[in-house]
Amino acid sequence: MSGKELSTPIAEVMMEDLTVRRDSGNLARCKLGQVVAFGVFWLAGLLAVAALLWIVGYVLVEGFQVIDIEFLTTRPRGGVSGEGGMSTTIVTTLYLVIFTMFLATPIGVGAAIYLTEYAVDAARRSKVLARLIQIARTGVEILAGVPSIIYGLFGFALFVVAMKNFTGGFSILSASLAGACMVLPIIIRTSEEALLAVPCSYREGSLALGATKWQTITQVVLPAALPGIVTGLILSVGRIVAETAIFWVTIGGSYRLPTGVKSAGRPMALHVYMLATETRAFEKAMGTAAILILTIVILNLFINLSSRYYSKQVMGRTQ
Amino acid sequence: MTEQQPSSAPEVMTGDVRRPLIVTAIALIWTLGAVAAAGLLLFRRPEEADAVTTLPATTVAAAVVVVGLGLLVGWGLWTLKNWTRTAMIGILGLVGLYYGTLVVFDTFAQIFGGEHIVPLLEILKNSGLALLRVLATGAVPLALIYGLTRTESHFRETTRERDVTNRSVWYVLIAAALSAIIIVLLIILFTSKEAWQAITGVGILEMIFGTIWRPGSIIGVEGAQYGMLPMIVGALLSTFGAMVLGLPLSLGAAILLTEVAPAWVRELFQPAIELLAGIPSVVYGLFGMVILAPLIRKIPVQANSGFGLLNASIILAIMILPTVTNIARDAIRTVPKAYKEGSLALGTTHWQTIRQVILPAARSGIVAAVILGIGRALGETMALIMVIGNSIAMPRSLNDNPLTLFLGTARTLTGNIAVEINYATGAHRSALFFSGVLLFFMILAVNSLARYLTRERLAS
Repeated sequence: MSGKELSTPIAEVMMEDLTVRRDSGNLARCKLGQVVAFGVFWLAGLLAVAALLWIVGYVLVEGFQVIDIEFLTTRPRGGVSGEGGMSTTIVTTLYLVIFTMFLATPIGVGAAIYLTEYAVDAARRSKVLARLIQIARTGVEILAGVPSIIYGLFGFALFVVAMKNFTGGFSILSASLAGACMVLPIIIRTSEEALLAVPCSYREGSLALGATKWQTITQVVLPAALPGIVTGLILSVGRIVAETAIFWVTIGGSYRLPTGVKSAGRPMALHVYMLATETRAFEKAMGTAAILILTIVILNLFINLSSRYYSKQVMGRTQ
Repeated sequence: MTEQQPSSAPEVMTGDVRRPLIVTAIALIWTLGAVAAAGLLLFRRPEEADAVTTLPATTVAAAVVVVGLGLLVGWGLWTLKNWTRTAMIGILGLVGLYYGTLVVFDTFAQIFGGEHIVPLLEILKNSGLALLRVLATGAVPLALIYGLTRTESHFRETTRERDVTNRSVWYVLIAAALSAIIIVLLIILFTSKEAWQAITGVGILEMIFGTIWRPGSIIGVEGAQYGMLPMIVGALLSTFGAMVLGLPLSLGAAILLTEVAPAWVRELFQPAIELLAGIPSVVYGLFGMVILAPLIRKIPVQANSGFGLLNASIILAIMILPTVTNIARDAIRTVPKAYKEGSLALGTTHWQTIRQVILPAARSGIVAAVILGIGRALGETMALIMVIGNSIAMPRSLNDNPLTLFLGTARTLTGNIAVEINYATGAHRSALFFSGVLLFFMILAVNSLARYLTRERLAS
């Protein structure tokens, strides 16, 4: 589309430009148009940031009025009054993050390794494999767009109902399995990018020394791509902490502390939802939401730090 | 230099292998342990006296397997095979992980299990005890792992072993690569299977075009009706509202970040937009409930509750902003610099260049961003439940003014699933799964379109 379609607007601009010469008022109009348009863009950007500041600021300010040691160290009392604190929800969130990442990380990174290191060769070797790899890539793309409530429905049907004997029905295990499906495409994509950024000369150097492909991957490519992979993992942790819809239908919502992987629980985000919809304890919901936002902000800081460190490393490498 | 001579040819298995003492010890302990375990299996005195004479075949088989594995691993260690070392570390690590999980659950239950957290002294005591417990029971495995990792250089890996690893890992990795498509197929399979009862019992067209949602779980199976049109309309209207409010905002921000703003503003805005993407949807929902609802309630219209499509649209508009802005920004950024320079060199103003050269060149990418935003808005769930009012009736305007439609309450497909799935049974549950299937394919279509557009752009 580049050449043919673009020539028209440029030509129009040229024509317009020619008319400018004849009519000097036109230039002023053009300048005015630019000022107005740019003003609109600035307004849009500032509105977006203002919305962010308003939401984050309000929740933090309101939230920190109820947050104290008592709130953080008491468990929710249940019932419609919404009394109590949030201690067990913090621990449950932690459990969820650990188990989900434990399930998703090996598969995600493994898939990324295959897609970056092996796929091109394999596709060249056989038509069937090329087809299969194409399908695998489409799968990742589809999975990345699936809304979380669908993961919830799927997790409910498969892990909570069909695999009840193995997962214990509504449980941390069911929720982690469903959550792992959600973060899998994120881990695959970010790891793939990180692996692709490792210069080919690293691989060639290692292979030239007589290392096998697998040795090259584990001892040269993966360590070099590690910061990028870690960035993706932190991103996934953020998604799990923020996720509500999946866990609403898979984890059971019990405010008690889970006693094992097969027992129900309630993570922080779900606690916010349940407080806001089932009780009138908005101030407690605000408190929990403030802790939630704080967690996300800290995770984002980590992402920024690690990606900055990583890009510096990559830049240094290619120069 | 001469000392390094032997290690340069690791494939040559010489007779005089220097086996470290610790490996000898581990091999012996392991083999004896396996034999002891097998003996325990075979000669353990059962509760019933008559069972002594006839050993069950499974026990014998298990004993044989245990002895076999024990001898195999023992032999592997004795001859310094590298695969044995890797396998042992892996197995011990997994066992340790399982055990560690149990200890963590126990310890946390002691600390957080009650109404309040136990005092600090108790926490220290409990964690100390847990550590002691791990050390006491894990001493032998930990020592084994430590011994094996320290003696790595003594183990030999033959070329054949290395090749086998290299080749077998290929199968593991392609399995991982196919996991995503397998999950997609499982999602389609399981949601469709659950939806089958509703598809055959109620009918697809009845569900999509029916206007009354009266599920059997509430009013009995007799008069149950499963029309989803109100929810479909609710989803489309809230998405439309979000687009009207959100697109100018997000596209404007994208142009600002790529073309207009100086670098330092970009540096400030970028983390803000990333944070916007990371904020949990329940926080947006809470904000809509506590702040926006009272504000909207001030609009003087009869039966205006503050909860409804307008509230939902505003929340959605903010939620789709990061998605649309990021993708549109990337699209604008990939327009070749030469286009811009060529246009500016012709004497156009910056705005004319943006409007007539850059935006047309980035058009398909921007359209893809908008479409992905639509997909995101259609799939959003929890925030919408909190602000949209959740009435199951068809959305309608509150008075003669058609715009008050947006002040009315509604329910989306996603919200319908989340609100009712936990107590739905029978045909009701099945119908909810059908709405999941519907949603899945709607979003699949939307995302495929966006993907097609971006691919076309990259190709050109």
